[in-house]
This record gives sequence, C-alpha cells and structure tokens, in this order.
Amino acid sequence: MMKKAENTIFYLVTAVFLVIILFPFFWILITSFKPSSEIFGAGAFRVFSDHSTLRNYGAVLTGKNILSSIKNSLVVSATTTLYVIVVATMAAYAISRFHFRFKNILLGLILVISMFPQMIIVGPVFNLFTSLHWTNSYFIVLPYSTITIPMAVWIMVAHFGKIPLSIEESARIDGASAFRTLWSVVFPLAAPGVFTTAIITFIAAWNEYLLTATLNTEISMQTVPVAISFLRTQFQILWGEVAAATVIVTIPTMIIVLIFQKRIVSGLVSGAVKE
Amino acid sequence: MKKKMTFKEFLFIVPLLVIIAVFSIWPILTSFSYTFFDYQLNNAQKSKLSFSGSFSADNFKENSEYIKIFLNDDAAVAAKDGAAAKDFAAALSDTEAYTKRFSALQSGKISAQQSSDFTAATAGLQAEVEALYKNHPNAEYANAESLPKIFEEINKAIAPSNFIGLQGYQKIFSDSRLFAALGHTVYFTLISVFIEFILGLGLALVMNRAIRGIGIIRANALIPWAIPTAVSALIWSYLYDGSNGIISHIFAEMGLISEPGAMLLTGPGAMSATILTDVWKTTPYMALLLLAGLQVIDKGLYESSAIDGANRIQTFFKITLPLLKPSILVAVLFRMLDAFRVYDLIAVLTGGGPGGSTETLSVYAYKTMFSQTNFGYGAVVVMFMFVCVLVIAALFVKVLGANILSSD
Repeated sequence: MMKKAENTIFYLVTAVFLVIILFPFFWILITSFKPSSEIFGAGAFRVFSDHSTLRNYGAVLTGKNILSSIKNSLVVSATTTLYVIVVATMAAYAISRFHFRFKNILLGLILVISMFPQMIIVGPVFNLFTSLHWTNSYFIVLPYSTITIPMAVWIMVAHFGKIPLSIEESARIDGASAFRTLWSVVFPLAAPGVFTTAIITFIAAWNEYLLTATLNTEISMQTVPVAISFLRTQFQILWGEVAAATVIVTIPTMIIVLIFQKRIVSGLVSGAVKE
Repeated sequence: MKKKMTFKEFLFIVPLLVIIAVFSIWPILTSFSYTFFDYQLNNAQKSKLSFSGSFSADNFKENSEYIKIFLNDDAAVAAKDGAAAKDFAAALSDTEAYTKRFSALQSGKISAQQSSDFTAATAGLQAEVEALYKNHPNAEYANAESLPKIFEEINKAIAPSNFIGLQGYQKIFSDSRLFAALGHTVYFTLISVFIEFILGLGLALVMNRAIRGIGIIRANALIPWAIPTAVSALIWSYLYDGSNGIISHIFAEMGLISEPGAMLLTGPGAMSATILTDVWKTTPYMALLLLAGLQVIDKGLYESSAIDGANRIQTFFKITLPLLKPSILVAVLFRMLDAFRVYDLIAVLTGGGPGGSTETLSVYAYKTMFSQTNFGYGAVVVMFMFVCVLVIAALFVKVLGANILSSD
C-alpha cells in the first residue's frame, strides 16, 4: 500500500518536473512554425497553428547571420576545448602525482580564479585586445581560459586521483620518462575523464557571452549566444524568427546532452561531492 | 608513494601557470591598478593611467603654429599703426621663443617642474596677447576672438595626472546606485538559491528513489544547464512578453499578476521573472549535485535505522541531512557565487530595467565601464564585488565548515 502511494508521488513529481523543464522549449518550437499573424493577437496562445509555415526557418537560414555565428561558435569552442584539455591534463597529472611546495597555493589560486567575477578581467583584456588589434578575431579563445581552466583542472585532478599509482610505478621501473608515462600509460586510463572534461569545457565555451559581446562586436565574428541575444533588438518583435533561430542552435546542444548525459553528470559532481 | 617534483616534471604545470598569469592574474592586478585613477576612455586627458602629467607634442606643435599664423595675419593689418606694429612684433618674437623653448619636449610623461613651467609660460604669453588686443582695439583684426580659444586648446597639451589614490573607493560610500545594485544582487542571490536548494533537494530525494527512467530525468535536468544563459533568457523574455507571452498570460489568468504586462514592466515583476528563470535553469543542476551526494551515503545506515524503528522524518534529519551536509555546503556555495555574479541572464532578459530595478553589481559595473567608458570607477565596483564574493566564500569555509579544497 505504502509502496504504491510512493510510486504515485514519484511519477507525479517526475511528470511535473519534466513539463516545467520542457515547456519553454516546446513553446519556442511551436512558435517557430507559426506565421506572425498567429504569434500576435488572438492566436498567440493557441497551441497548434492552422497555417504552419517554414518561413521563419527560411528567413533565419538565409539572412540573419545565424549560420556564420554557428561556425564561429564551433571554431571558438573546439579550439578552446583542445588547448584547455592539453594544459589541464598536464597540470592535473603533475598536481596529483608529484609533491611540490606550492601545490596547495596553486590549487587555492585555481579555486579563487573560479570564484572571482568574470567582470574583473573584461576591462584590462579589452584594452589589451584593442592595443594588439585582436578584437573581432578568434584570439578571443585565449581569455576563455579563465572560465574553463579551473573547472577542467578540477575534474582532471579528481579523475587522476582515482587511477592507482601502482600502474605508473611499474612503467617507471621499466624506465619510462614522466612524459612517456603520461602519454602511453596514464592517458589511455584517463581517457574517460579527459572526454568528460572536453564536453564540459566545450559547453562552457559555447555558452560564453560576456567576453564575446564585448570583444567581438562585429556581427560576422559573433558567437551563437551573442548573435541570438542581438536578434531581439535587431528586429524587435519578430518572435517567429527568434524562435526558429533558437530551435536551430538548441538542437545540437540537446543531442550532445542526451548522448553524453552520464559523463557530464559525473564530471559536474566530481569537484563537488566528497566521497 | 608520490615522487618529489624535479625540473622536468615542473614543465607539466608551466603552460597552466603561463595562461593563469596572463589571462587571470595580470588582468586582476591591472583592474586593481585602474581603481586608483580617474580613468575614462573617451576623455582624451584621462584615457591613460599617469602618475605624473603627460604632454602631447602634436597638440603643442599644431596650436603654437596657429598662434603664430593668427598673430602674423593681424600684424599685417597693424602695420600702419606704429605702436601696435611694435607690440605685435614683440608678441611674435615671444611666441617664437615660447615655441622654441618647448619644441624639444617629447610626447609622454613629463615632470611636475616641466608641467608647471609650461603652464606658466602659456599663461604669460596668453596675457601678453590679450593685452595686445585690448590696448590696440581695431575692428579689422580678424583673430581677436579666436586666439583665446587657441590658448584654451594649447593648455590641453598638458594632461594633468589622473592619479586619485583612494578617492574612487571613497566614492562608494556616496554612491546610492551601487548600494541599490548590491541590494538587488543580494536579494536575487538569497531568494533564488534558497528556492533552488529546497526544490533541488526535494527533486534529488525523489530521483534517489527512482528505479526506472533515471536516464530520462537526468538528461532533461541537464538541458536547461547546457543551453546558453543568453538563449534561455531570450526564450523567457518571449514567454514573459506583455501581449504575446504565454507565461504572463497564464499568470494573469491565475491572478498572480494584475495584468500580463506586469512581468517585465514593473520592478517587482521583473525581479520575480529573473529569479524564476534562474530557478528554472539551475534547480535541476542543484538536484544533480545533491543526488550525487545522496548516492554515496551508505545504504546500510538506512536499514539499521529502519530496524531501530526510526520513521521517515527522523531518518531524514538524523541521517540524510547530516551526511549530505558537505555536499550541500559545496553546492550552495558555488551556486551563491554564481548567482552573485549574475550577468548574462539580466543583461538579456531585462537589461537591468525597468528603471534599474533589476540592476545587479555586474550589470552596473559593465555599464560603468562600457556605456560611460569609466574604467576607473568600473574597476572600483568590480573590486567591491570581488570582496563580497570573498566574504561569502570565507563565511562558508570558516563558519559553516565547507570543505572545498580536498586534495592532499
């Protein structure tokens, strides 16, 4: 009897949760197929349109820089992920495997960096980029490190902590150098952790808004979040096109999340859960 | 057994150190240095940090040349009048001497002595020229009006030091907009994190009992987290729209708000809208963190407490909550820091409006820096924020005992 009631509560809570989470996306999806006559006025709150149309998608894909912003986002996020992974893996390996004097200071520093307001670096980085003529370029990936590196190092340190030392010790006894050990013994074992870190870093870079909005002001160099947020001021009330653009850029993220959900969660909690 | 680090292994962390140094430490220190200057990008005299004054040779060359040309023009007119011609000749030779005296001065920093010399010499020449026109009034002189303006310009060849010491920090105390922003930030942080924590904990407890369907729940929980904040803010701004927004419509029908426009057009409405969006976006994330904490609690504890006859509520308060405390502290701390720094959400959803009622510290700092181009005071606001963030972190670590640094 108790069990049954419990199950009912469970399904009810789950259902409410799913509805709340998914409703905004659902509404954006149906809006994207509505002609503007049904987005405004009396038809605005109807779920299904009588005159479904693909015009919004056509307009977005042909004219509004959405495609170039997707390309920019892909380039920027992939580049960031690549170098952050290399840097973070090497550092995390050293942190988890060797004794050195300033280790705790370094870890504390990484933690403080992850805590400080991102706003703190924007001014100086803006001046630096202006003087080097780096604004409106892919150099933007460099300051992305402040938002991605701490998390990446953190996850990798936690992951290396789970790999037993004995394997490396035998490699060392066989005469492998530190780099060799990392590359051919530890790296394959760490691959799942690296992969998790890569996904999370990629998503963090993909979502970055503040730096790009400030440094890459030219429309042709904007990334997805900035380009989408500009759609609103650009054509005020064309919600149909805004909705279509949102659907286009949201679907890839959703697919990534659906496929890699387990890894993402394990990465997210690795820094936060004490076992 | 861990090895001691040698130079070769030290190379492993060099790239990290370089990147942190260049893109984190250097900008923080630079921002810090901005706070001591009246540093405004769009004001030519304040657009550089300078302890001593600085000198613009270009300005000087151009304007001293103008003085000469203008005087020459009028000297030609004055040629018929003997006394005036003599005075013009004197003024011209003084201008020549003045130009020569400072022509060697390079653009850039100058000493206080040079600065006061220049100001005094310029004032002297200006007095002489003005006296000249006063003593020999003649409507035919073309430049009597323009010369004072040229002197005004040439005075700007010297930019005074814009070092203001701690005055920027002093300004904090009289800046009511800053305190309003602090109030909005604290309100937003406390309310949204509190709701997220309660809902997240409930959700985590439910998910912890899930037998089937955990994958679907987890994937859905991740979606709001994975979508760019700017994009979800835009989605919600459509849902909150006064005339076409479905959420505004539903809330108005339910009687929660007086009219559909209230969500984004009134102060309390906009703040609630912002909090609601944040709760939607981060509650699932919070739930996932807490769920991971729940899953490492030893199941045996629950079994023995059941044998001892403890009821649900007792079990929750005596076992679950104490054992979950480390996870809760870390999750709440990180969420609080995130909420305190909120920018994207507000920038896109409300822009800080209406009437500044959702302006948080980040938004205020950004506007100060990039709308008013006042980098000096903007940096002060950012530093103020940084201190608040450190205080929050210190409270959690020292008072509540959050353990965030758990490496050997």
